[in-house]
Amino acid sequence: MKRYTSTSLGNFLKNNLVLVGIVVLIVVTAIIEPKFVSEANLTNVMRQLWPLPFIALGMTFVIIGGFIDLSVVGMISLAGVVTASLIDPLGQVGAILCGILLGALMGYLNGRILTSVGAMIQAEVLFITYGMSSIYTAIALLLTNAETIRIARNTKPITIFTTLGSGTVGMVPVVLFVFIVLLVFMHLFYTKTLAGRGISLMGGNKDAAFLTGYNVKRGMRLVYTISGIMSAMGAISLVSRVTTATATSGIGYETNAILCVVVGGTSLRGGKGSVLRTMLGVLLVVLLGNCMNLLGLSTYMQTVMRGAVLVTAIWLDNRKEL
Amino acid sequence: MTMSIKSISKSIWKVISKQGAVLAILALMILMLFFNTNFYTAYNWLDMLRSAAILEIVAFGVTVAVICGACDLSVGGTLSFGGIIAVLLINAGYPIWLAFAAALATGALVGFVNGFLVVHQKTEPFIITLGMGMLLKGVCQVLTDARPLPSKVPEFMMISNSKVIGSIPSLVVYMVVLFGIFYYLMRFTSFGRNCYAIGGNYEVAKYSGIKVVPIKWTAFVISGITAALAGVLLASRMNTGSSVYGDTTGMLVNCGVVIGGTSFAGGVGGIRESFIGLFVIQMLTNVMSMLGLDSYYQKLFEGILIVLIIGLDCFVRMRKRERV
Repeated sequence: MKRYTSTSLGNFLKNNLVLVGIVVLIVVTAIIEPKFVSEANLTNVMRQLWPLPFIALGMTFVIIGGFIDLSVVGMISLAGVVTASLIDPLGQVGAILCGILLGALMGYLNGRILTSVGAMIQAEVLFITYGMSSIYTAIALLLTNAETIRIARNTKPITIFTTLGSGTVGMVPVVLFVFIVLLVFMHLFYTKTLAGRGISLMGGNKDAAFLTGYNVKRGMRLVYTISGIMSAMGAISLVSRVTTATATSGIGYETNAILCVVVGGTSLRGGKGSVLRTMLGVLLVVLLGNCMNLLGLSTYMQTVMRGAVLVTAIWLDNRKEL
Repeated sequence: MTMSIKSISKSIWKVISKQGAVLAILALMILMLFFNTNFYTAYNWLDMLRSAAILEIVAFGVTVAVICGACDLSVGGTLSFGGIIAVLLINAGYPIWLAFAAALATGALVGFVNGFLVVHQKTEPFIITLGMGMLLKGVCQVLTDARPLPSKVPEFMMISNSKVIGSIPSLVVYMVVLFGIFYYLMRFTSFGRNCYAIGGNYEVAKYSGIKVVPIKWTAFVISGITAALAGVLLASRMNTGSSVYGDTTGMLVNCGVVIGGTSFAGGVGGIRESFIGLFVIQMLTNVMSMLGLDSYYQKLFEGILIVLIIGLDCFVRMRKRERV
């Protein structure tokens, strides 16, 4: 029992080792490279952040529910491509609404397939969502014929996209305000509503959730639909930022989103976690990348670091529960 | 009469639920009867086998891990890594056998680390090996600067590009030999049988005196070694090492293993099943290109195949759960 009576600082360190490690790295970078805290650099970071926060937000709900979603790759690509190509026929508002609707549909379809085949453990969910991701990417490739869509070539106005992509209020990008509204909404949904708390219950123990009368299948469809909507919103923010859409633009966001969620401290076993902690994770992962850029590490070295952080974070998280 | 129809449909259901992959192969073969292509030629079938060989070799090792109730998504990274190590050492002037041994040793090391994290530290194998694959891909990019790395020694190329006994490609021979070794290992050795026991029920295996931790750990090491071996063979086939070889391998091989009928729940399946599972994927690619379809359609059908067959695997297990 001695272990549990150690100081609270020790406990905090033990529970948040990865978090503390990254914070230390950032502080060290800030000291040896003053450029890091300059206004130009921070503005740059805030602008290049997107669409990761959206994806990570959706992924948080899936992971708290005890599952995982690899199909975000396909969903981002397809939603981005469809939104960009619908601007001309439907106008920008219509295109954005259609994109989000498509995201919700894709997410719902994932949930529907998973519940009807009875996939319950992470392994099954992982592979089926991977298969769905291939399907969505393939559809996006067939739609665009693997060509890049440039939204600037549209005849209709794209003011919403340009505002989202590069508009700022002071030095804060507009898309951040949109995101904060969404974040507050999702946080309240998770902490204050029955459906939100049910996700946590489902992730903690599916059998117990079922026996207390919680509809686990509906819960699964809910978390996947959320992930789909968030992926579509992320796709729109990505399209706005880079002003192009391709059928492969979603590649890599699934592991990055999982990394953010895990670094934030949400357990991959499900049941525990918080939306706000994931945002901390996103911030730290992005700042970590920025630090490594400023310290002159190559992009390849950054992939190594990301992989190492992911493996270590999962490992340490697991040790807590041994 | 109704009874016999019922029993027939029941037995058909049994075959499908046990091996959807055989059904997929039959469907593809029937489909090809309607098209006038070179599908039914000895050359094409040998070519399919040769193209499948690399993934099959990776799959043999992964199957051992999956039978133990885990899985290994890091094989893609290990595949690239093994090939790059071999090419780097050969270009540096070391003999080919040494490069081979070094690549296999790195594969074993990766497997050892995976085994430590999954078996000893009891982490969830799916995510941790996914992260490991990402890490290895980064290492490969650092080693090669993300460019293809051609080998300067022509003998290295001959390992995978020569022909044996008339016109049989050497890769097919390697695959057949490894198939034999792994089939024997999983069927007729105590190690193989213990793997099935561990996958079937970890706790029961533990209490019946099977050394669960070392055996499951070894399964990961085996998976790492075969992935590295396949990596060297692929590098030799292409005469180049590259960090992009393994991009989809991890997912594809693990899906192929399950498509064959080796379940993620562990304890069922085998090397023969995995062979069929991976062969279906290769056959699908072959059929698509014979019919002149885009590679996009290939990706689409690959996705549909994965969702269908893994979904079926889940569905059968759900029915079993409900019956109990």
